[in-house]
Amino acid sequence: MLIVSNLDVPLQTNEKSILELENIFKEYSDRKNKTHTKLIVINNLNLTIKKSEFVTIVGPSGCGKSTILNLVAGLDQVFDGQINVDDKPISISPSTDRVVVFQEGALFPWLTVYGNIEFGLAIAKVPKDKRKEKVMKLIEMVQLSNFTNAYIHQLSGGMKQRVAIARALALNPKILLMDEPFAALDVQTRKMLYSHILRIHEETKKTILFVTHNIHEAVALGDRVIIMSPKLANIKKQIIVNIPRPRSIDHPLVESITRAILSESDESFVNGGVAEIEPDNVDINNNVIPTVR
Amino acid sequence: MLKLKVQKRVADKKINLDGFLNTILFIAVFIGIWQLAYLSGIWPKVSLPPPIMVIESFYDLIQDNTLLISIGMTLYRLLIGFAASVVIGVGVGLAMVRFTGFGKTMSSFAIGLQSFPSVAWIPFAILFIGLNDAGILFVVIMSSVFSVMMSAYSGIRNIPTIYLKAAKNMGAKGFSLFRYLMIPAATPALIIGIKQAWSFAWHALVGAEILMAASIGIGHILLVGREFLLMDQIIASMITIFALGMIFDKVIFAKLEDKVREKWGLRQEQDIENR
Ligand SMILES: Nc1ncnc2c1ncn2[C@@H]1O[C@H](COP(=O)(O)OP(=O)(O)O)[C@@H](O)[C@H]1O
Ligand SMILES: [Mg+2]
Repeated sequence: MLIVSNLDVPLQTNEKSILELENIFKEYSDRKNKTHTKLIVINNLNLTIKKSEFVTIVGPSGCGKSTILNLVAGLDQVFDGQINVDDKPISISPSTDRVVVFQEGALFPWLTVYGNIEFGLAIAKVPKDKRKEKVMKLIEMVQLSNFTNAYIHQLSGGMKQRVAIARALALNPKILLMDEPFAALDVQTRKMLYSHILRIHEETKKTILFVTHNIHEAVALGDRVIIMSPKLANIKKQIIVNIPRPRSIDHPLVESITRAILSESDESFVNGGVAEIEPDNVDINNNVIPTVR
Repeated sequence: MLKLKVQKRVADKKINLDGFLNTILFIAVFIGIWQLAYLSGIWPKVSLPPPIMVIESFYDLIQDNTLLISIGMTLYRLLIGFAASVVIGVGVGLAMVRFTGFGKTMSSFAIGLQSFPSVAWIPFAILFIGLNDAGILFVVIMSSVFSVMMSAYSGIRNIPTIYLKAAKNMGAKGFSLFRYLMIPAATPALIIGIKQAWSFAWHALVGAEILMAASIGIGHILLVGREFLLMDQIIASMITIFALGMIFDKVIFAKLEDKVREKWGLRQEQDIENR
């Protein structure tokens, strides 16, 4: 049983919250029209994320997921409401607290794998030997040691995203923001990257806010899945995914929870996620029900 | 993968060798026709000396060090003018990016001036600066600076926003954004502009040396050749100009461009075949 809730329920755990979004309201003004039409994208969004939590936000394309990430990252500073990181407004905390992994990777083609991962450290003027130590560790973590000096165009799509993850982690951000990072990859590669990101989350205990339009992906990765309503980005439901960690992406609960979400969602949503489900694998009689908040 | 690379190298070498033999053949045929034209007697010796006379002229020019000194002086002017163009062009290009209004206005002027014939600057330069090296440099700079300027301007403006977003997100701003993102991201466009600027500078310099009566330089040898009706000397310096241009274009800039394209993954199989 899943409960629809529009309000964020205060956290009852004793873990500290690291990110708070309070009454976020965001509109874009369309300058192309002389009439200055305004498009409200986010309407009164509230969300709290705990330290080390892996939160996935899932919603159809165009519902405002990237907008939310841009606001949290500080890439767009025009909005109403309050965003706090460690109880301080983001306007006074450095942007490197919240690093984004973009869908397209946004890796720099003029730099090698090493150079890309080193980028943020070079800008922060970290001493060379310290940089090297850090970069080499990260390259090892994403298992690309053989590609240290390769240029970006020499990598496969999955490798590129692993470099992007390592590059983001180099700055040791408090929160890792991921904007549909695996959407452009094929199913096989995606599955491999699920394992990678789950392992990295396990190893680093990073707080991760992960945006996707793929319900299966959201369930497989997240401790908590936030389901957005298709229009005006607002939270439609929140689901706690009680699959123990370290987690296997093939855990049977992943399929059954995905199914349950799909059966309750409206059509527009189903289109986005149904392709990912292999009906043969779904255990409909599974009576372990995800915890509801 | 390594094997593939080696194979490619071998293929490259073979193409290069074929190309070399073709060039030799082409030159031999050209000299043959030239010799025949001379033997036909249609042109007097002053208008068309035989190939051997040109070679003798080369020998003379090398013997008394004229050629070496002239080449040195010409390259010196070229290098200074070109370097000034790159520095000024990149600087103004950046200012154009920074100040949008200035950028818009300046770019329409720069596009017009980019194709402005270099010799048309010469009378202005003579009266404005004088019949001297500074005047020659002025012509060289005015002929090449706008190419650099436009390539810096459009190269930076065309950097994908996702790169800027990513770099800012990783803490780049102000000078570090410029040094670590804008310059490297705009490099492919910049190299094309710089290459064009180099050839514009080269054209302008030879023209200016002839018309502004430089006392030393390749252009000066040409001028002297014309004044004393030394066609063999004229042809010898023309060949020198051709060879120098060839060396810069094919060896230095082509290599530079190739390297950047390879690094960026812009190089395609076709390029390799076409070389
Ligand atoms: N810079 C912008 N200006 C105007 N409208 C925008 C802008 N960015 C996004 N939008 C609109 O806001 C809505 C949400 O976009 P986005 O956050 O990118 O959605 P998602 O990432 O969920 O696909 C879309 O309707 C989109 O057209
Ligand atoms: Mg998006």
